[in-house]
This record gives sequence, C-alpha cells and structure tokens, in this order.
Amino acid sequence: MTAKVLLAIWMAIIIAAAFLYTEAASGFPGETSRILFFHVPQAWVATLAFLLSMIASAVYLAKRRVTADDLALSAAELGFLFCVLATVTGSIFAKATWGSFWNWDPRETSIVILLMIYGAYFALRSAVPDPEKKRVFAGVYAILAFITVPFLVFVVPRITASLHPEDTMNPANPGMDPKTLKVFLGSLFAYTALFVWMLRLRMRILRLEEMREEERRRQI
Amino acid sequence: MKSGRWITQTESSTYLNEAMAIWLRDLRSEFRTRYAINAILMFAVTTLVAVSFSIGAFRIGEAEKPFLYAVLLWIILVFSALSGLSRSFVKEEEAGTMDVLRLSARPQAVFLGKLFFNLTLLGALELIIVPSFILFMEYEIEFPGFFAAMTISAGLGLGAGTTIVAAMIAQASARGALFSALSFPLLFPLMITAIKGCERAAAGMDSAGWPEVRIAVAYVIIMIIMSLFLFPLIWEE
Amino acid sequence: MSACSLKVSELCKYYSSTLLFKDISFELGPGEILGITGWNGSGKSTLLRIIAGLVRPSAGQVEMFYEDEPIPKESRRKFLGMVAPALALYEELTALENMEFFCRVRGVSYDRKNCLHIMERVGLTEHAHKMFRNYSSGMKQRLKLVQALLHEPPLLLLDEPGCNLDSKGIRIVEEITSAQRRFGMTVIASNEKREVDYADRVINLSE
Repeated sequence: MTAKVLLAIWMAIIIAAAFLYTEAASGFPGETSRILFFHVPQAWVATLAFLLSMIASAVYLAKRRVTADDLALSAAELGFLFCVLATVTGSIFAKATWGSFWNWDPRETSIVILLMIYGAYFALRSAVPDPEKKRVFAGVYAILAFITVPFLVFVVPRITASLHPEDTMNPANPGMDPKTLKVFLGSLFAYTALFVWMLRLRMRILRLEEMREEERRRQI
Repeated sequence: MKSGRWITQTESSTYLNEAMAIWLRDLRSEFRTRYAINAILMFAVTTLVAVSFSIGAFRIGEAEKPFLYAVLLWIILVFSALSGLSRSFVKEEEAGTMDVLRLSARPQAVFLGKLFFNLTLLGALELIIVPSFILFMEYEIEFPGFFAAMTISAGLGLGAGTTIVAAMIAQASARGALFSALSFPLLFPLMITAIKGCERAAAGMDSAGWPEVRIAVAYVIIMIIMSLFLFPLIWEE
Repeated sequence: MSACSLKVSELCKYYSSTLLFKDISFELGPGEILGITGWNGSGKSTLLRIIAGLVRPSAGQVEMFYEDEPIPKESRRKFLGMVAPALALYEELTALENMEFFCRVRGVSYDRKNCLHIMERVGLTEHAHKMFRNYSSGMKQRLKLVQALLHEPPLLLLDEPGCNLDSKGIRIVEEITSAQRRFGMTVIASNEKREVDYADRVINLSE
C-alpha cells in the first residue's frame, strides 16, 4: 500500500522537476528536450519488458510453470503499452525538433518492429484456443523474435544511415548537466518502478483467473 | 515370432533420410496438385505485372534505380513467399494427416523435410521471378555474382525464418493473416539486408567480402538451429 | 511374444473447465486386449490419443515398458500403431506410395512384398495402385489398418476400427485383433458391443 503511494508521489515530483527544476537543454528548440525525461525511460521499459518476456518464455518452455508464462504475458502487455507511449512521445519530439513526425531512423524503425512483434505475439495467443498450446507457441515465438533482434540492431543502422544521409541525432545521451542527470535518473527509476508495480498487479489478476479455473474444475 | 520392426531397425536411419522421405512426398503431392506453387507464382506474376505496368513510362533516374528496384523486387518475393509457404503444414492439418505424421516421424525430420520443401518452392519462385524482374524492369546489375549470392542466401533465409511459424499457424485459426503477421517481424532484418545487398550489387558499390550475404547466411544458420531446437515443442503436444 | 507392457496411472483430462474423464488407471501386458466404451464425447478417442502421445493429459501418467525398461515418450511411437476416424492418409498418393512413405519416414526398410502381404490380409491387393483419394470409405479404413501394422507394433490402438466397414471388413479386424493377441497388446475404443466383446477387460468412461 505504502509503496504505491510513495511511487505516485515520486512520479509527481519527477514530473514537476522535469518542468520546473531543470533547464531546457541547449541545442534543442525551445522546451522540447524535456520530453526526453519521459520518452527515454518509456523506451527503456519497453525493451526491458521484451527481454523479460523472452526470459520468462524460455523458463516456461523448460519448466512448464504457468507463473512463468503469466510473467511473459504481463511483461508483453506492459511492454506494448510503454512501446506505444515511447513511439508517440518520440514522434512528438521528432516533429518539434526535425519538423516531421516520422523519419525511419534506426531507433524509430526498431520501435516499430518491436510494436509489430508485440502485436504478432498477442495475435498468436488469441488464435490458439488450447491453453497449454497457446503458452508453448507464444513462448516459442517470443524466443524467435528475440533472436532476430541482434540482426535488427546490427543491420538497421547500416541500412538507414545511407537512406538518410543527414544523420539523425541520438537523443539518448546529450551531455547532461547535473540537475538534468538527477531528474533523468529519477525518471528512469520511477518508470521502472511503475512497470514493476503494474507487472505484479497484472500477474496477480492472471493468477486469480487461474485459481478460479481450478476451483471450477474441483467442483465437477 | 516376429519382433517389432521399428524397434529393431531404426539405428540405421538418420534424420536426413527421414527428412528426405517427407520432402519427396511433399514434392510428389505438390507435383500432382500444384497447389502451393500456383498460389506463389500467381501472386508473384500479378505483382510483377502490376509493378512493371505502374512504373511503365515513368523514367526513374539511373541513380535511384539500384535501390528502388531492389525494394520492389524484395517486396514481390517476400509477399509471394508469404502467400504460399504455409501450405505444406496447413494442408497436413486440413487433410487430417498431421497426426499420422506425428506418429510416424521424428519432429526434427519433419522440420527439415518441410524446410527443404519450402526452399524448393522458394527456389522455383526466385528462378522464375528474379530474371523476369530484371528483364521487364531493365535492372542493370554491376556485380551479378554478388547479386545472385544475395538472392540465393536471402531466399534460404526466407525459408529458414518461416517454416516453424508455418507449423504454428497450421494449428491455429485465422491462418493466412496470422502467418504474415508473425513472419514479417522475423523476416524484416533479412529483408532489409537483401535490399541493401541487391542495391550494392546493382549499383556496383564497394562490397568487398559481400557483407550482406554473410549476414543473410548467419541469419539462415541461426534460424535453422533455433528452429530445430524449438520445433519439437510445437509439434508434439 | 513381444516383451512390451503399458501402464496408465490416474489419467485425467479436462478441456477448459469441462471434465472428460478422471482417475483412469490400468495395466496391460502382452496378449491382452482392453476395451474402452462410453457415450459419444465421453473421451474414448482422447484417451487413445493420450496413450499414443498425441495429447497431454491434465493429470496422470502413461508409461510403456519394453523388456522392463521404460520407453521414453519420444520413442513411444515406434511401439504402437494407431487407427482412428480422425487419422487420414495422403490423398494424392496411391496406397502403395502411402505405405512406402510411412516405411521410409519411420526409418523402417521398405519391403514391397511385405507391404503387399499386409494389404492382402485386408483384401486390398487389387487396389494397391489406386489413389487414396479414390478409395471408398471402407477401403480407406482398411488401408489405415495396413498403415498401423507396417512396423509390427507391440501395441495396437484401435479407435472404432469397424467404422465404415462391412461384415467382411469387420471379420478382417477380428482376425487382426486375434493375430495381435498372439504378439502383443491391443486397446479398442468402441461403442459396438461386438467389437469390445473379445476384450479381456472393459473400461466404461461414462461411469
């Protein structure tokens, strides 16, 4: 209970600090750099969620413990959510900074592919009615998707760098002054904590649904 | 008294033998029905004609051609492939032969056999469409060796990346759309590598060591190994 | 007599929340025939599929032993042959081509004479070169029996073996079942009384 409240307060502090405490970074038009306090942690959580989902899938395939699949699913759902957020905030930033919503630079491309992977994952899960099979298939797909990621990371920059000669700037690490750094790290922590909190909540819901299933079976 | 022949005899049989049996059987069935190859070629030819016609008299600058044509070629190849590569598994499921296959063959042999079959289809597709494309679109290629290697290795990649997905969707609902939705994210790195490689080959850009071909080959190897490892999990319930 | 045995312990199967059957246990040894009866939808086919390894049980175990050594699940298929309404053979192949395929894919050497001999037992010799697609339903059923016998399995799983068969066909099934009795085990799932009549024991899933 208290953890929830503390998290909410922390998040509020971060949001306030992002606008009031820090100064807008130079080299970016106007106040646009502030979005990075939100955009980067969102992207970070989206990728973390993907990694978590893949590991949980591997554990499920090895041990067949349903909690592992619950974790994989919950992480995927939240990862998708944060992925959408990251895409939207990134797009807003792109519009403000470079004048267009979408540029297909390496990062934007990767985030779209990640969105497609999540979408495919959910589509697969809903297309398989048998619960055990659904979990196995989803787990296999998560792993397959994950192993194509190194190719994506390695290959895409080679390609798009030449597609768009004006090298799009990587906004992840502009030189940060101490105040900005503090708020940035604070935001990173806040988003991760938010993710973990939502993850546990979602897993609890899944677990309750399973318990209800088992109860129904026992009554037969 | 007879003893179970299967129990005593299998030592001499290899995955490869069994995979070949499956491959040849699929080929034989396909030869008699021509189901998958028709679907794939229909799609490819239609798209090729549409592309060729739409571009038509429009003069594309020589500088843009290598890249643009590479993109068009691979869009045609990838989407044609997606229209037909799930056939071999879907047909087994629909005909009800999947179970007797499960009872007869080792999972890895099934995967390899189906992979070989898909690669055969892809080989036929590329053999027909790539030269046609080059001809109709007047695609000038500076490094034909590199171009051929790129097309072949990426073709292998198309098969390697989609066979296990085909096995999954055959056991699910909404197969057609699902197959494309699942395959595309997996194929994306391969596709852009292929486009880049073909562009380089066509434009005559510096391509010492054929880097894109090596990436495609790495993709093929990794996907096949992972699929061999994961396939038994989705094949046997 | 093949030294193969089957042990099923507390098998239980649910589909979502619907219970199909539970606490099914039995042991089967060489020379024995087990009958499984029950209403349509009671899970007879599913039970056979679980024994075959095609479906996972919700609870319980299936174990097979060969010469007292447990058989790993992946190898179980070598020891059994199955006939079921849901099982189909390849339509665009002839009967012999089908059999040749199954021999090769099972890693069993293809002996044309032996195949034809089995086909003779079920009365399909004249139709050996016809496409499976052109078989009548009775002929298809008989060819399915051939497929199950190709590799001389110690365990025969017969799910409604008399389905689509005329009286001659049913006699063929009886002959096969008694031949199997001399060699190994049989499990027959059926609602036809005469089919489970020659079983040593019967399990009724509807109880």
